[in-house]
Order: sequence, then structure tokens, then C-alpha cells
Amino acid sequence: MRGLALVGMIAIAFGLGSYYTTESLGGFAVANLAAGAVALLAAPVAAVARGARRAGAPTGRGRLLPRAVWVVFALAAAVALERCAQHTELQADWTAERRFELAPATRQALAELPGAVTATLYFEDFDPRVRRTRLLLETLEENAAALRVRQRRLAESALEADRYEVTRSNSVVLVLDGTFETVENPTEGSLYEALRRLGRRDETLLYVARGEGEGDFSSVEPIGYSGLGAALHAEGYRLRELVLAAASAVPEDAAGLLVVGPERPLRDATLTALADYLSGGGRLVVLLDPGRETGLEALLGAWGFELPDAVVIDPASGPVEGDAAGLNPILFTYAEHPVVRGLDSRRMLFLLRARPVLPTRKPAPQDDLAGVAFTSGRAWLTEQVRAAERGLLPAPPPDATRQHFPLAAAGRYPRDGVEARIVVFGDSDFASNRYLRALYNLDVVLNAVHWATQREEQITLRPKTLTPHQFPLTPQDSLRMFYGVGLVIPEGCLIAAALIWLRRRSA
Amino acid sequence: MIPLRALVRKEITVLFGSPMAWLTLTGVSLVTALLFFDHLRLYNQILFLYASSNMGGFETDTVPVYVNLRDQVFLPVMETLALTLIGLVPLVTMRVFSEERSRGTDELLATTLLTPNQIVLGKFLATYLFVLLMLGLSFVYPATSVVRAGLGLPHLLAVYVGLFGLGIALASVGLACSAFSSNQLLAAISAYAVAFVLYDFRWTSSFAPETAAQVLDALSLHPRFGAFAEGLVRLGDLAYFAGYGLVAFALARFSLEQARVR
Repeated sequence: MRGLALVGMIAIAFGLGSYYTTESLGGFAVANLAAGAVALLAAPVAAVARGARRAGAPTGRGRLLPRAVWVVFALAAAVALERCAQHTELQADWTAERRFELAPATRQALAELPGAVTATLYFEDFDPRVRRTRLLLETLEENAAALRVRQRRLAESALEADRYEVTRSNSVVLVLDGTFETVENPTEGSLYEALRRLGRRDETLLYVARGEGEGDFSSVEPIGYSGLGAALHAEGYRLRELVLAAASAVPEDAAGLLVVGPERPLRDATLTALADYLSGGGRLVVLLDPGRETGLEALLGAWGFELPDAVVIDPASGPVEGDAAGLNPILFTYAEHPVVRGLDSRRMLFLLRARPVLPTRKPAPQDDLAGVAFTSGRAWLTEQVRAAERGLLPAPPPDATRQHFPLAAAGRYPRDGVEARIVVFGDSDFASNRYLRALYNLDVVLNAVHWATQREEQITLRPKTLTPHQFPLTPQDSLRMFYGVGLVIPEGCLIAAALIWLRRRSA
Repeated sequence: MIPLRALVRKEITVLFGSPMAWLTLTGVSLVTALLFFDHLRLYNQILFLYASSNMGGFETDTVPVYVNLRDQVFLPVMETLALTLIGLVPLVTMRVFSEERSRGTDELLATTLLTPNQIVLGKFLATYLFVLLMLGLSFVYPATSVVRAGLGLPHLLAVYVGLFGLGIALASVGLACSAFSSNQLLAAISAYAVAFVLYDFRWTSSFAPETAAQVLDALSLHPRFGAFAEGLVRLGDLAYFAGYGLVAFALARFSLEQARVR
């Protein structure tokens, strides 16, 4: 019996060793694994027969039988315990970034899936990233009745992979009614956006202003806005450019108009067209930088917003992006408003050299106008915009007023059965490719568009990816640790082993 | 309870009175240290390569996200530590029952106030405590990851809960093997073999039917530890590791009865 078991174990060990070394299941590995399995199966049979002979008298067998039953019972209990525990789906996410706790947006996207979705993970053996993806997919599956997860080896599913344009291991393909989305290097955020694109049934037409130096939605450069364009597309918006200089009116099919950081003054005809659009219940989202006179300031003034040409300095914010402390405010104070729903003191926004957006007066009593995101109470204003743009921090004037300055404000204006909505931000860089995914910038811009276009049910907080620390542990630090601790503990243990061995030898 | 406590104390004293226990501790701490510094060396090389080739220093957007202390150093070291446990735990467990049997002291133990269940429980508890201590020694370097890699204490705790679960499973396998043999070497080799086989059934998925592969995957030790390594603590995985202890206990108890019948 022991011989059989030993031979079986050695054969299996060599079979597995061959598999892990060559990373393929060759003839040697298969032969060893098969021989090992046969020997291991034969061993307990031989053991039982031998045991029965050894137990000899029926009394001996009688004493052993209950113990054998206990072994079977323990095995059954262990399996039942594990199955029950597994069935409860109880789990705790102890990662620093709460990687396996789904964001509200992901839960919403899963709940709104229009049909059965299959998520297939394509992988290669020994790809260490696959485990994390597998766990993430399992978490998604547990939260969605309409999602089924399967796994395929790339090498064994070449045709399928080719059809879904899968080129590398650790890719996920989501399929719904014949349409598919391929996600390489999947994270909760990328899967969420793929689910949104997949589940989209109708699109909302959003016009993007161009022609006066506004942000470029086709540019993938850090200062471009392709990221915002892709995010809006994933959220169900079809973007169409509107060249302001050539437009006599905002098209009637516009669900909203997005104006991102114009550099030059808008023509009078354009401003008139925008005013007409708003009077007719238009929806406008504007991102305006300080130091630019665009004409929009006066237009927005008519709707209750005051936009002083100044930069807010918030000493509560540290030195970010190499600039002096306070130039780039980090916001963590919010009003009760749908645009900032879910944001709190731990969910912050990051703006760059922003101007204040003051909701000063309501044009009509029934209007609703409010600041939504504020600086700290230590903030003050400087009109030295050019110096601030160069990264210089002007000294605060002695009579500077320190207060919570709103850097974003929103207004709704019900008129004759229609309702105009306007959201204004005092900065446009925070939505550029470089900063869009910093903190909760993306959420606030998308939620502002959702609110302005009256798709408030889409307002949510999206999944975040935390970039782990990437700084080196210097060789000096490493060596200090290695000699200080790395060798001291094993050395101490080895000395103890040697002393005990000597003592036992001499005893 | 007092005799049980005395037995646990005696078992721990015997463990630390043998060079093998200290050699095992040396192995764990040395392997962890060498692995940690080797991974760290490679990580620093990669990082400097990226930083210099991009000429952007350590700006976060010049280095790929996957090049970080957590993924390049901490997790691989923990993975290898888990594999190292397979090699070291049987060295501790091999003597627990077999030594008593080969020396004949098991009969002496049977004459004490302790019931057979208490004897088995005492030996299991003492071994589990040793596994805990062994893991404690390997804690120094991962603690660095908490400080420097922003891993977070809960994640580190999750990894160690997983390592302890794995250690318990491996110790249970080793104890069961030891209970059925009076030869320490045989007990250790069989524990290695069983642990090695149970560690990962991934290789079967290339030829086994999907359902069978899933069942085998659910039996594997490595994927269970993997969830903990990723920071996910699941009740099902905890129950899985506890199941090893339960079955091994029943097997050891069966073996004790078998010896008494003989």
C-alpha cells in the first residue's frame, strides 16, 4: 500500500513538475500523471483490504467502523460547510482602493442591462493578471442576474478570439445580442464603460462648440478632450460639432450645448443665437477659464451668474502639479444639488487656476440658481491673472475677503412650459485628458451634462482606479533593511538550531 | 482543559527543542528576505529604465501602472512564500505523530488523563501555533509594502489570513500523513506529494470537461489563497481551509484508534 502510494505521489510530482516547468502538458507529464492517479487509486483499496485483515477480530473491526464513519462524516461536513459558506457570497474587500466593491455606477449599469450578457475572459496560463480579473468578473456576476461569466484559453479559442479582435491575454469580451465590446486590461472602470456602450439603445445629441479656440474633442494630447468625448459617448451621447462663427442658431435637435474653454470673443450674432436658444429652454454647460474675455460672461450675467476675471487662491490646497500652494484648488465642499450628488469631503475635485462663478441674482422668482462646489473658507481672489497663469503666487491684499468661493454653479429657469438649464464651471483644464480622471472630475462634468440635459437618472459616481505608488525603494534603504533585519532574523534562528543540535548531541 | 493546555505546551517545547523547527524558521525568514530583495532589485531596475528612457523622472504618467511595489514586489514574494510553505510545513509536521509512534511514547500518552480527541486536538493546536509564529517572522518585509507601497494594513492582513489558512491546510495534510506513519521521512514525503497535488489543478482544465475542471479548481489550494492575496476575504475560502483541519482531525483520530486496535 505504502509502496503504491509513494510511487503514485512521485509520478504525480514529476508529472506536475514537468507541466509547470515546460508550461505544457506533454507526453511525459500525461504518462506520469496517469500512472500516478492509478497508483494512488489502488493504494487505498489495498489499504482497506490490509486493514480489514489486520483488524482481525470482529471487535476490532467494530471499534474501527465508527471512526471510519466519522471520517466520512467529517469529509461531508467540510464539503457542506464550504458550499454553504460559498453560497452566502459573504466577502470583505480589504484592498486599499476597495477594488471589489462596485461603484454605484457599475451597479446601475448592471441593473439596467437590456438582456443577457456573456462576459468571456480570454487568458493564457501563467498570466498573473488573470486572477484579479477573474475575481472582478465573479464580483460583477454576483451583482447581476443577466451576466454570465466564462473563461477561454487564447490558444484553444483562436477563431473566437479573432472574431472578437482579442489580441492578448487578460482580455474580456462582453456580448449582448450579437454586438460585442472587447476590453483589454480590464478594470471595473473599463468594464463599466463597455457595459454602458453595450447596453445603450438610444443616443442623446449633444452639440460641442468649436471655432473660437474651444477644447478639441478629437485631440488625444494631455490638453485635448478626447477622454471627455469618449466618456460622454459611453454615457449615451452622440457628439456633433457646432462651429459658432458659422451658426446663426443652435439646431433644434440639440439636447444640449457644451462650450469648453473658448479662447476668443464670440461674435455678437453667436451670442444672440445662444441667448435665443436659452430663452427657448436651451441647456448649456460652459467651462470658462480666467483671463479670457469671450462675451459669454455678459450673456451668463443675464441669467444670474457673475464671473469676475480673477483667480481664486485657496491656501487650504497644497502645492499640486509643481505650482505654488493654493493656485490649483482642491474642492471638498458642496451644496445639495444633483450635479454634485454623492460627493463629500472625501470625494474631491481638482481644478487649475479657476475663476469664481458667483450665483448673484435670480432673474425671476421661480428660478433656481445656486453654487454647487466651493473652495475652503480661507480662499481669496487675485486679479493678477497673468502672474497666476505663470505659476506665481501673488501676495494677498491686506483687505482681501476670505470666504467660500463657488467655482461651479447651476441654474434652472422655468418659463412658459419650457425649462432652460445652465451649468458653469470656472475652469476648463480640469476636464482635459490630463486631469479628467483625477479625483471626481469626470463624475462632476458628466453629471453636470446629465443634469442640464434632464437625464438626472444617469447621475452617479463612477468606478475609480487608484494608481499604486511607483517610487523606488532606494538601494541604500534596501541594503540597510537587508543587513539590519533581512539577515539578523535567519542568523539568530540558525544559531539557535546549531546550539540545540550540539546540546542534543552531547546529551 | 488543563491537561490539554499542558499537552499543547509540551508539544511546543518539544518543537522548539528540535533543530528542525529552528531550521524551518531560518528557511522561512531567509527565503522571504532573499526573495524580497531580489524582486526589489528587479523592480528598481525596471523603474529606472522607464524613468531614464522617458526622461521624465518618476512622473506617474511616464511609468506603466503595473510597475509598482505592490504588483512587482509584494504580491510575487507572497506567492512564493505560499509555495515555500509546501516545502517547510511538512518538516514541522512529520514528527508530530510518527515520532511518538516510533518511540512507543504514544502508548504512554494514552494512559494520561487526556482523551484521544484531546491528544489529537493538542497536537493540532501546537502545530497551528507554530505555523502562526513562522508567518510572523516573514512579516517584516511586507510591512515595508504597507509603508512604502500604499498597500494598506487591511490588505496585508488579508494576505496573512490567506497564508495562515494555507498554512493550516498544509499542516493538516502533514499531520494526517504523520498520523498514518511511524517513519518521519515517509510522513514528510507523502505530505509533500499530497500538498503538491492539491496545490493547483489548473493543469487539468486543458483536457478535463468544463464542469470537472471547475470542481477540481474549487478543490485547489492556490486559487483560494489567490483571493486573499488580492485583498478579498471570502467566507467560502475560510470554510475551505477550515475543512482541511476537520477532515485531517478525523483521519488522525481514526489512525489513533487503528493503532489502539492493533
